[in-house]
Amino acid sequence: MRFSLILLTISSAIAQDAGATHADWPHYGGTQFSWRYSALDQINTSNIKSLTPAWLFQTGDYAENLQATPIVVDGVMYLITARARVFALDAATGREIWRYQSPEVPRNVPGFIGSRGLAVSDGKVFFGTKDNYMVALDQKTGRQLWKVNIDDARQCGCNITAAPLVVKDKVIVGGTGGDGAHRGYITALYTKNGRLAWRWYVIPGPGEKGNETWKGDSWKFGGGSPWLTGSYDPALNLLYWGTGNAAADFYDAERVPAGSDKTKDVNLYTASVVALDPDTGKLRWHHQEVPADVWDYDSAYEVLLMDREIRGRLRQVLVHMNKSGLTSVLDRATGEFLGAFSVPEVRTWIAGITEDGKLVGRNEPQLGKTTTICPSAAGAKSWNSMAYSPRTGFLYVPVNELCNDITPNNRAAEEGKNYMNGEFPVKLAAGRSTYSHVDAWDPVTGKRAWTLPYKYVLLASMLATAGDLVFTGNPEGEFFAMDAKTGNRLWSYQTGAGHRGAAVSYAVNGRQFIATATGWHSSVVGAAAAALFPDQDWRLGSTLVVFALPEASR
Amino acid sequence: MKRVLAVLALAVSCFAQNADVVKQGEQVFAKTCATGYCHGDKGASSGAPRLAGRGFDQAYIANVVARGVPDTGMASFATRLSRPEFTAVVAYVATLNGIANPTLGAEAELPAARALTGDAARGAELFKEAMRGFGRCSTCHEVGGFGIPVAAPIAKVPESVAAFRALTTPKVKTAVLDGESMPALVLSERKQGPVFYDLTSAPPVQRNAPPGSVKFTDDSAWRHSSVIGAYNDSELAAILAYLRAVIKP
Repeated sequence: MRFSLILLTISSAIAQDAGATHADWPHYGGTQFSWRYSALDQINTSNIKSLTPAWLFQTGDYAENLQATPIVVDGVMYLITARARVFALDAATGREIWRYQSPEVPRNVPGFIGSRGLAVSDGKVFFGTKDNYMVALDQKTGRQLWKVNIDDARQCGCNITAAPLVVKDKVIVGGTGGDGAHRGYITALYTKNGRLAWRWYVIPGPGEKGNETWKGDSWKFGGGSPWLTGSYDPALNLLYWGTGNAAADFYDAERVPAGSDKTKDVNLYTASVVALDPDTGKLRWHHQEVPADVWDYDSAYEVLLMDREIRGRLRQVLVHMNKSGLTSVLDRATGEFLGAFSVPEVRTWIAGITEDGKLVGRNEPQLGKTTTICPSAAGAKSWNSMAYSPRTGFLYVPVNELCNDITPNNRAAEEGKNYMNGEFPVKLAAGRSTYSHVDAWDPVTGKRAWTLPYKYVLLASMLATAGDLVFTGNPEGEFFAMDAKTGNRLWSYQTGAGHRGAAVSYAVNGRQFIATATGWHSSVVGAAAAALFPDQDWRLGSTLVVFALPEASR
Repeated sequence: MKRVLAVLALAVSCFAQNADVVKQGEQVFAKTCATGYCHGDKGASSGAPRLAGRGFDQAYIANVVARGVPDTGMASFATRLSRPEFTAVVAYVATLNGIANPTLGAEAELPAARALTGDAARGAELFKEAMRGFGRCSTCHEVGGFGIPVAAPIAKVPESVAAFRALTTPKVKTAVLDGESMPALVLSERKQGPVFYDLTSAPPVQRNAPPGSVKFTDDSAWRHSSVIGAYNDSELAAILAYLRAVIKP
């Protein structure tokens, strides 16, 4: 008994180390376990009050806000802006080392302006563009090494806005377009030369398993775009990715085969978390979170990999939230369902979920009628990431209490054009005075440990640190820190512009820094949320603000 | 009197025509502009700016729809909408801005959309058919506003399927980079280093090599026939019909 306890402690320690960042912030999610957790503790609950700006960097790209998660490797920060301008900065001072300016994207290219990050590996910096070029730069000089177009945005209506993920010799990236008539995919290219390694289509083609979960030819335009960044477990050699919603978003009669059982596996592999072989792109297992989705509940979000004891047994688990706020806990080796919990306080889309993960009491919008659905299609959580601290065992989640009035229609699909098939004005959940909260959730018990309410919405990613601090920002411009154990707000700083990006932590020469992107998002979810609070004027911008303890106090 | 009646009749018929066009514009707006996080039902906004009651005049509306707004989500719709759709949606947005009786077709500078029929229409689809992945023509050729312009614009259309399959590509060379030999379409051999497409596999990758690092030789084993293998003869014939219809020598 004692022996097994020791064994447990050891393997937990290994998993704990694999998920935490140290001096560097090498990947979009911190490490490829996507915890957004730094093992640095120089800045902690006892000295947080002294945290002060060390430097800031104005990107000069004000077309949209700064959403990207910066990458820090060996004291150099790599940052990408909305229009894919890339900077290498001295991470201690903000001094510019090199810059790369992507060519202007032609005006007839449809879609989103924005970039959520880049990847650094193999001596190169990798990123995608609005017009679907994947680009590799020399990490030292910023010189372009290769670029390759992976789809014509004018036809597919899709863009690359996500940060790529590098796994061994491949750079792997997803795309947008799942709200249009498009068939989503993940593409892997060789880091060395940009050549195609594999492409995995979210929706199986004719003759492939899963195609039978689509009615007629609807698989061709069924959406499912995996528009964010996945995770990777090197020990299992498995790549994990969340996939987007099925299209048409709000109307499923053209895509769900007659007589389908909507409790499991309809419109595969949309609204799912999937495990792929990173060498071949072959599917190993899947878990669909929303079969036959009719609420625009993407599952494209981050995948957190951790080892936790569940019902007396140490399990290699994966934690994954989809837009509805439904959060699955799975065995990441096999995909076995271990449990689920739902985070929003206001929920009308389902009545509940069974112990084996089936949705109960689906509240489906009907053609031509208006149904109020909570949470909204903007998400109980938006695309911005949660964080996980192995010290508390809690997930830190920004949750929004919004609803939308969905009125589906049955317009026909046109390739690459919007295929949401519904109006869905977003509104505030009724009968409340606060519309968001930062929560701490225990993924093992599925219980909320603490919550910190906020008046408006929260649309920035979370950062957790070994100093038992949790950081995020709000649309009013405050960047703030909470006690990871209690949720007490310990510190805040007015950065001058709203927060819709991400914060990271890193160290240079022993000095710990906390860096955050600032600038409110002026379109899509940011604009829709701002419209709910007309007396507010959340400021735009594109500035990285970096904090540290004063030199003298260290 | 007769003349007055005629003018009146003309006015009435114009008005009726306007109403139809505005109605069509409303439909185009609903499926193209009101959708998603864009301009919302009747231009009331659901993310992108409100378009109703903004005091826009028709020339402004036509200009923005045609050219888009730089650095925003508003793309150019000049080639994404057909000419009648364009006219209709401009007229509809004008009515949202208090212009009760918009002028039709004032946007003379727009390119007219070509209507394709039969084999040419089928060829247009085959040229860029998404389910073919990187095995479609549009992976390397831009025609009619679709595709990636890896190759120079197509100037001459092969006369037959046989000629199409036998197409020679004298511009494709062999590049040797880091000891690896690859078929290359050279874009530039400038001082800062050569720029070329590596044609080893699809999609082609643009390589920017350091000066003096690449050796080019004038011949290559690469053949165009190797990348059109997924199309059968009937499909290639349709693609040729399409190219003949849209490419003017």
